Amino acid sequence: MSVYYLFQDAGKCIGCHSCEVACKSNKGLPVGPRLCQVITVGPKMVGDLPRAAYTFMPCFHCENPWCVAACPTGAMQKREKDGIVFVEESLCVGCKSCMSACPWGAPQWSAEARKVVKCDYCKDRVDDGLKPACATVCTSHCLHFGKPEEIPPVRRERYAKAMAIFE
Amino acid sequence: MTTPHCEVAGAIQELADTIASGRLTEPRCRRRAEELLQLLEDVSSGRGGSGHYEAMQKLARELVEDSADSGCVETGESMSRLLAQHREVFASHIETFICPSGDCVKLAPAPCQIACPAGIDVPSYVTLIGMGRDAEAVDLIRESNPFPWVCGLVCTNPCELMCVRGRIDESISIKFLKGFAAERAMSEGTYRNPAKARDNGRKVAIIGAGPAGLTAAYFLALKGYRVTVIESLPVAGGMMMVGIPRYRLPREVIDREVAMIADLGVEIRLNTRLGVDVTIDQLRDEGFEAFLFAIGAHGSLKLMIPGEDDYPQVINAVGLLRRVALGDRRSPGKRVAVVGGGNVAIDAARTCLRLGCEQVVLAYRRSRSEMPAHVEEIHQAEEEGVALRFLTVPKEVVGTDGKVTGLLCLRAELGQPDERGRRRPVPVEGSEHLLEVDAVIPAIGQRVETESLVPLEELKWSKRQTIMTNNITMETSVSGLFAAGDAVSGPATVVEAIGGGKRAAEALDRHLQGIPQPEMPPVPVRRRRLECIEVPAPTKMVLKRPEMPLLNTDRRRITFQQVELGYPENAVREEARRCLRCDICRRCGRCVEICRDLMGVNALQLGYLDFDHPVASDLRVTSERCIACGACAANCPNEAMVMQDQEGERSLSLCGTTLNRLDLERCEACGVVVGTTRYRNFISERVSKAGLSMEGGTLCADCARRHRAARQSDNLPPG
Repeated sequence: MSVYYLFQDAGKCIGCHSCEVACKSNKGLPVGPRLCQVITVGPKMVGDLPRAAYTFMPCFHCENPWCVAACPTGAMQKREKDGIVFVEESLCVGCKSCMSACPWGAPQWSAEARKVVKCDYCKDRVDDGLKPACATVCTSHCLHFGKPEEIPPVRRERYAKAMAIFE
Repeated sequence: MTTPHCEVAGAIQELADTIASGRLTEPRCRRRAEELLQLLEDVSSGRGGSGHYEAMQKLARELVEDSADSGCVETGESMSRLLAQHREVFASHIETFICPSGDCVKLAPAPCQIACPAGIDVPSYVTLIGMGRDAEAVDLIRESNPFPWVCGLVCTNPCELMCVRGRIDESISIKFLKGFAAERAMSEGTYRNPAKARDNGRKVAIIGAGPAGLTAAYFLALKGYRVTVIESLPVAGGMMMVGIPRYRLPREVIDREVAMIADLGVEIRLNTRLGVDVTIDQLRDEGFEAFLFAIGAHGSLKLMIPGEDDYPQVINAVGLLRRVALGDRRSPGKRVAVVGGGNVAIDAARTCLRLGCEQVVLAYRRSRSEMPAHVEEIHQAEEEGVALRFLTVPKEVVGTDGKVTGLLCLRAELGQPDERGRRRPVPVEGSEHLLEVDAVIPAIGQRVETESLVPLEELKWSKRQTIMTNNITMETSVSGLFAAGDAVSGPATVVEAIGGGKRAAEALDRHLQGIPQPEMPPVPVRRRRLECIEVPAPTKMVLKRPEMPLLNTDRRRITFQQVELGYPENAVREEARRCLRCDICRRCGRCVEICRDLMGVNALQLGYLDFDHPVASDLRVTSERCIACGACAANCPNEAMVMQDQEGERSLSLCGTTLNRLDLERCEACGVVVGTTRYRNFISERVSKAGLSMEGGTLCADCARRHRAARQSDNLPPG
């Protein structure tokens, strides 16, 4: 894993897709590729009420990434200093091996460039001390980016609150 | 990236860099720059129209005039300057759809078309012939050359010398395909003239009804001129008629193609000798405003040896061929020596055989490999019984009682190469020997007969005694007087004369319309961008250039019947399918580089396009190794390499040649194509080397994401 953690507090997410929009506009992407995607799961009936879940699916920047192993040209790389997995555009020839190999469908196809594009945690922004584009626009503040130790323990707190028994 | 040689590509690069640099901060200025870039890209990819140039000029001007921003003004000025300086380059991209440098990838010309002096769009007509569309092929050829049938029989086919297929096995038989299509169209009555422009009432006189003159007449007539051709001989066709023997080019072929030109309203005055029957001044009085001299090179060079002028049995080859062509078929003698090693010498020797000479010796002063004659011609001459004697230099014509009895010759050895790289023959002292013959036919070169042009004192001549012209416009030193063909180039080929005639017609038109003359040589025109004919790779490799069926040698020795009998139709259609379509694949080698060096698959064995890695070319290897990843197709700059999914199969083809076909695998959830088994095995092998395995069966990227998201949400604690 990279040294960063992009945490989605799924309980707060309302599925507004702002993160996707910010991501695509930051990268200037055409119709098609979605580097991060909010997937609507459900709705399911929970008790008597329909409930939907919104799962944020970026790239997980694996410790031993399938995409890097699959890439024959060395375009897919893992950054030494922080473990961010990214595509070196000039080396990508568009064979889509990474797309077939990734169990999460993270690498995406840009038909316009005839190359693969992929979430790189906006590494240029990160290098400038900024957060990835998606995490800056989240309307319900459910996306948190940082080192794991900096992420607020929201889930634990919420669970604790739910479990709390006032005597 | 290397700097492009083409000014259009250069302008695109410059402007794109400027836009990308962010220097153009004003939104309006940026929009204009982007519009200008779009127009430039149109021009560079063959989508330019008549208004493009003016529109680009206007945008560049607005960039300068309508802004105070210095970056914007500089960009506009730079673009205006480029457009003004290279106006012709931009215009030629728009009009011809050819970028001679090949920097504009979509407009890179095929080598065969570049090699053709008449600039015919060879790949397009070969493809049309392959599709069985002969009449269209002839129409397309006649947009560049009014003599497809003549050229289909006697062209020296420089196109075939450049043919890329020749690097795999043998070049495409371009010439004979053209001959077949023309013959077929003529016989079916579909050989037709293009639409003619309205009569503009202006008169042009052309002196000489040979290939150059008649070509100019054709193009000028199409532009609406009233053209009159003056010809001293009793037949039209020039050297095609009186220089090329009938067994190579039947008279009917010339007559029919000349008749097509006459049909355009061109008047041909036969038996009219310039300077004798009519003068330039008389023609001017008749209302002719411009003249083209296409008088050919009908004079002969002399051997400059003793005895040459003393006997009537010394007959120069050009004179002999003319005499025979005009119907006088008396034999020059029983035993004949032809002196020379060019096509005319071979023609004279073979003609002598057919006139009944018992023994024909061809004496050439160098060796076989230096002979300028066409290899095929030499071969056919030998088959018919012409004896070749190399390293033989004539020294004296000897005879008694006014009759030739022999040709005294010296043996020669090859010495140092001359300025053209051919080794010079050096006569050996004391090697005199006598060839016992009763006629000598010198065929050592031709010259322009200058006599009829003597009254034109201002006309300048080259050192070789040919008419001096500007080689772009074909205009002579006298304004309004143009020249083309052998009269300018010295003895050359039919197709070169056609090329010259065409250039002269364009320049004559500009001269009479008062349009400035071009400053760069004309660029050939891409007539079509035809779809490729689908051929499986094994077929493409196995098809062989067909042998030309020939008349049997007995009949060849005694008659003037056509020697080359022409291909049968099926051979023609198959032959056209061998074409590699170099008008589409520009042989940049990117596909090979990617497959071999980056993917490590090495499925493309295309040695013919890769001079650094001269592997044998075999299009069949691809189907054994290719994993159908599509990287080659994704990176092909001109859509020559195409990958398609159709009917459960993924196919890869290069200019119509199917290189590989594999069954498709589909996503188990949604049915979308996820590649082929070989492709997925390739990936899974790579992944397993990293200690990983392909998880989750065959899911497409979208389904993999959805599937995982659902699993993840299941794991979430209740919110």
